[in-house]
Amino acid sequence: MDLELTENQRELYEAAVKFAEAELNDDVIRRDRDEVFSFDGWKKCAHFGAMGLPVPSEYGGMGLGITDVIAVMEGLGYGARDHGLLFSINAHLWTNSLPILVFGTEEQKRKYLPGLCNGDLIGANGASEPDAGSDIFAMRTHAERRGDCYVLNGTKTFVSNAPVANLFAVYATVDARLGAMGITAFLVERDTPGLTVTRGLEKMGLRTSPMAEIVLENCAIPVANRLGREGRGVQVFESSMEWERGCILANYLGLMRRQLETSIEHVRNRRQFGQPIGKFQSVANRIVDMKVRLDACRPLVYKIGWMKERNKPAMMESSVAKLFVSESLVSSCMDALQIHGGYGYMVEQGVERELRDALGSTLYSGTTEIQRNIVAKCLGI
Amino acid sequence: MDNIKEELRQHILEEFLPGEKPSNLKDDTPLRTSGILDSVATLKLVTFVEEHYGIEVEAHEAGVENFDSIDGIASFVKSKKA
Repeated sequence: MDLELTENQRELYEAAVKFAEAELNDDVIRRDRDEVFSFDGWKKCAHFGAMGLPVPSEYGGMGLGITDVIAVMEGLGYGARDHGLLFSINAHLWTNSLPILVFGTEEQKRKYLPGLCNGDLIGANGASEPDAGSDIFAMRTHAERRGDCYVLNGTKTFVSNAPVANLFAVYATVDARLGAMGITAFLVERDTPGLTVTRGLEKMGLRTSPMAEIVLENCAIPVANRLGREGRGVQVFESSMEWERGCILANYLGLMRRQLETSIEHVRNRRQFGQPIGKFQSVANRIVDMKVRLDACRPLVYKIGWMKERNKPAMMESSVAKLFVSESLVSSCMDALQIHGGYGYMVEQGVERELRDALGSTLYSGTTEIQRNIVAKCLGI
Repeated sequence: MDNIKEELRQHILEEFLPGEKPSNLKDDTPLRTSGILDSVATLKLVTFVEEHYGIEVEAHEAGVENFDSIDGIASFVKSKKA
C-alpha cells in the first residue's frame, strides 16, 4: 500500500485547503455559540464539489475515487475551522447520497442525486431511536405495506441536519419478529404528510451542525421510495456506516495536522522562565505524542480507501480506524489545550471548540465501545 | 450437495469463526440457536447465499427452519435451485 498522494491527489488536497481557508472560516465563534448552520458555506462547498465527490458525473458529482475523496476531506479538515459544517457534509454524503448511489434505483438516482450534489437538497439519516442507539436494530419504527405505499410510524432521534434537511433516509422494520431481516430503508421527503421535525437538540460540540428529532405519524411513502430490497435495510445502513467511519475521519487527519503545526509554532514562540516553553521536556513530549498519533492515524484512514478501491470489505478496518483516530483526536485536542495553557481555554483561540467538536467523534457512527465490539466479532471472539 | 456444504463451511469459518478448527463446524452444528450467527450475521450469510448460488431469499425464509445448520442451508439452496 502506497501512502504517498499522487500528483492529482496532492492538487485536490491543496485546492481543498485553499478553498476552506478562504471560504469557510467567517464568524465561526459566533455561529458556534448561537448554533447557526451556514447555508452560505453549504452552497460554497457544493459549488466547490464537496457534496458530489464520489458521485459519478452523470448524476452531477465529481466521480472521484475513494482515496481522492479522502485527500479532499483531509484538506478541508486542515483548512476549515467550522467542523460542524464538515460534519453536516459527511452526514449528507455518507448516510444519504451514497446509499442512494449504491442501493437506489435509476429513477431515485436521477431524481435526487443532482440536487444533493449541487447543494439544493440537504440529506439526513434517521436511524437512532430514543430506545435504540448502539443497539440500532432493536428499532421500533414500523413500516406497514398498504398497497403502493408503506406507512411509517415511529420517532428518530439524533438526526444530524434534520432542521435543514430536505430528504431523509429512514430505517424501519416491516416485522420486528424478523430482527435484522425486517429492517428496511426508505427515502422520505421533508414535505411528506406525517413527517414532523420536532425539537432541536443542543449539543456540546459541532454546534454549527443542526440536529433534531423527527416523528413519523402515519407517514405514507410510495413503494418507489423504498431504498433497496425490503428487509435489506441493514445492508444499506452498514454500507453507509462503513463509508462514514472511513471518510469522516479524513477531516480529522487535517485537523490534527493543523493543530500540530500551530502547537509547534506556539511552543517555539511562547517564552517562560527565559526560554521557549518547547524546551521544557514535559511540553515537548505532548508535541511528540501529537505527531506520533497523526502518523499512526493516517495509514489507517488511507488503508480504507486502498481496500475499498479494490472492492475489499473494510468493516473491521473502518472500525479499527474509527476507534483509533477518534480517540487519538481527543487526546491530541487535550494536548493542544494544555500546551496553549490559559489562552487555549479562551473561546477566541478556537482550541477549546476543537476539543468540544472532537469529543463527539468517539460517540457518533458507533461509539468507541461499539467499534471494539465490531472488531472483536470480526476476530471471531 | 457436498460441494455446497463445503462452500458454506468455508465461508462461515472465514467470515464468522476465524481461527476455529474446520472439524468443529459440523453439518448439523446449530448456527443461530447456538449464537454463532446473530440476525445481522445471518443477513450477511443470506446475501452470500443469494450472490453465490444465484437465488433470492425472502425474509420469512431466513429463519431457523432453513438457516440453523449447514445441512439446512444446503437443502434450502438445493430446493430453490430445483
